[in-house]
Amino acid sequence: MSYREKVAWLSLLAIGLTYGPYFTLVMMHPAHAVPDFNQLAMFAKTALSQMVLLALGHWWLRWRNPEDARMALDERDRAIAHRATTIAYYVLIAGMIWVAVVMPFYASGWLLVNSGLLMIVLAEIVSYGMRVVGYHRTL
Amino acid sequence: MDGPLTNAIRTLRFHQGEMTQAELGQRIGVTRQTIAAIEAGKYSPSLEAAFRIAEVFGVPLEEVFQWRRGD
Repeated sequence: MSYREKVAWLSLLAIGLTYGPYFTLVMMHPAHAVPDFNQLAMFAKTALSQMVLLALGHWWLRWRNPEDARMALDERDRAIAHRATTIAYYVLIAGMIWVAVVMPFYASGWLLVNSGLLMIVLAEIVSYGMRVVGYHRTL
Repeated sequence: MDGPLTNAIRTLRFHQGEMTQAELGQRIGVTRQTIAAIEAGKYSPSLEAAFRIAEVFGVPLEEVFQWRRGD
């Protein structure tokens, strides 16, 4: 498995381990008040946890593969990233149109905020997932 | 996945004293995995990378890559 594919797996893992529990808790205990500082604190903890996991993961991957980590992206890496980003962009746009145009007819407050956040996270999952698929298809 | 673009990189590496994929990749500025993907016909390189590969082996481009019309 190439270094870049490992990075894509790490990013997927970090999202799953942080935003998975976040959205599970949000669905089980939906916030109603705006602003809700508990909800805000939970989001801050989630984002911080993701950053810590990514930092530790990158450090470990660089420590295990120092030469691969130093190598710049090559043309195949860029082609895979471009394709993944393009597909994720459409997911993000479709999600944001749903949240900003359709959802306000029946939802408000934190439901809108968390739905927007979910669309961003989904787009990230698609982006990193497509990278993993891209590396598998071209190796 | 069989594509219309085939290549003789494996043979050319053998004739260059069993040059490794990593060494070839280093000389043209791509990763070992990208060379493996090109060699296996799973990734079509850019024109520039194709010319660089031919230059490393000291042969014309058409000796490295061959294109055949699909059925």
